[in-house]
Amino acid sequence: MVDLIKRLSLNKYTVDKESHIQVNTQICKTCKDKPCVKVCPAGTYEPDEKDGLIVHYERCLECGAALVACPYGALKFRFPYGGISYRYG
Amino acid sequence: MSFDADVVVVGGGLAGISAAITATREGLSVIVLERGDYSGSKNVAGGRMYIHALKDLVDISDAPLERKVEREIYEVYCGNGRKISFSYEDKNRVDSYTVLRAKFDQWFAKKAEEEGVLFSYSTLVSNARREKGGITLETNRGEVRAPLVIEADGVTAGISRYLGLRNLKPSMLMLGVKEVIGTAWDEGVARTIIGFEGLKGGGFVYSNRDTLSIGLTVKVDSLQGSEVKAQDIVEKFREMIGIEGPILEYSAHLIPYYGYANLPQLNAENLIVTGDAAGFLINDGFTIRGMDLAIESGKVAGKAAKLIKDENYADTSIYVKMLEESFVMRDMKKAWKSFSLLGEKRIFSDYPKVLCEVLGDMFLVNGERRTLREELMEKIKEENLNLTQMVLDLVRFIG
Ligand SMILES: Cc1cc2nc3c(=O)[nH]c(=O)nc-3n(C[C@H](O)[C@H](O)[C@H](O)COP(=O)(O)OP(=O)(O)OC[C@H]3O[C@@H](n4cnc5c(N)ncnc54)[C@H](O)[C@@H]3O)c2cc1C
Ligand code: SF4
Repeated sequence: MVDLIKRLSLNKYTVDKESHIQVNTQICKTCKDKPCVKVCPAGTYEPDEKDGLIVHYERCLECGAALVACPYGALKFRFPYGGISYRYG
Repeated sequence: MSFDADVVVVGGGLAGISAAITATREGLSVIVLERGDYSGSKNVAGGRMYIHALKDLVDISDAPLERKVEREIYEVYCGNGRKISFSYEDKNRVDSYTVLRAKFDQWFAKKAEEEGVLFSYSTLVSNARREKGGITLETNRGEVRAPLVIEADGVTAGISRYLGLRNLKPSMLMLGVKEVIGTAWDEGVARTIIGFEGLKGGGFVYSNRDTLSIGLTVKVDSLQGSEVKAQDIVEKFREMIGIEGPILEYSAHLIPYYGYANLPQLNAENLIVTGDAAGFLINDGFTIRGMDLAIESGKVAGKAAKLIKDENYADTSIYVKMLEESFVMRDMKKAWKSFSLLGEKRIFSDYPKVLCEVLGDMFLVNGERRTLREELMEKIKEENLNLTQMVLDLVRFIG
């Protein structure tokens, strides 16, 4: 199995200075099953002991799943200004 | 109130480009707003395009079509190394071709530019509001106003969301994950694979000129509670079906999964909705179609735009009437029965398992031969399935 980070590194990104994903980590701290982690194909959401959730927005593939991934309303997602440029698509 | 054009198209993908070409031919002034640096830079499809709608719209002699699909392979995996497969071949078929969207959409946008369509790239629409007989779009390059907006912004339907017309739900969406592999096959093949980790969905392999496109489409709600993470499924799938070669790109994209009976709102004052944004996708278990529906609905929207301009920008209902008469709605309607079935777990895990067990026992020779009927009845009982339900499902599926 080829590792996720290796696969993402094959893609072409122009990373925005600011994150296009906002997360209310207060809610994440109380969230046990963390469905966003299961749903995101880019591993953007990483569970964290202290902060509840870390967001690696630079990995985002802009699939759109973040708009429905969190059933508890903790995620706010918009498309980035730069972001991914697919060469095959 | 001054407007920037007769029509602003949001999204320069297949639906948007088709709408822009058609509206321009109807004599309207058109601007396309596309968030990518070029058309296709944000877009993902499996993909195999049924080209009937495209062929009708533009000359395709120089289109970057990858391979003509001549062979269909259908595979059902049922665990423990067992699978059922069949294939169908027709060398004379010319209805569908494999495509790669980054290349394809750029070519298509160039066709539109040659006909005078204006594109504004790297332009992200971040909000929309109603204002004085039209819609004002907020973008990173300033505001754009139009009396008619053709929404072609894909499955996430930003415009409908900004205007409060849409609420996205996990149960109405699939996630597509895909890899492009640097391996070439010398014929045009479409492989459809079902039965993967008990997830609701299926897999595909399409052969391009020099590469393979492989991936899965899975219901978002079945991922939320699943054992496997979405980030791992395409690699697990690749191993299951035994495809090797260097990975050239990893991509992902949502897919609408509404079905005819649950289609979202297709029009409002000053707004008509096309393609994925309108939920136009057909998946009947054998074929997945969104691209031809996007192109056709874009064409219908471009034609409707002219009639709407001549009559009244507030009344856009003519668009829906015209859609009802097109193959978009006709085919959506026909596919509804099998489409609704594909949301059921028994189709993806229970039935394939029973089928494999029965076939497995029929091929096995161990001195204990029974009839197919006996086998089937016993397995159905073992799996706690309901025979009446199975027959009903079959009828619905074929029907
Ligand atoms: C994995 C996968 C496999 C598929 N396989 C097939 C297949 O084999 N055959 C088939 O026919 N269909 C397939 N589909 C479906 C097909 O890809 C879609 O139906 C089709 O792309 C829809 O076209 P569209 O123009 O409506 O949307 P899109 O192609 O998504 O275009 C939308 C455009 O709008 C732009 N945009 C979005 N939001 C904004 C904004 N706010 N501001 C500015 N621009 C914006 C985007 O950048 C994009 O260019 C597949 C889809 C996936 C994900
Ligand atoms: S974003 Fe939502 S699903 Fe993810 S950890 Fe936070 S509360 Fe849970």
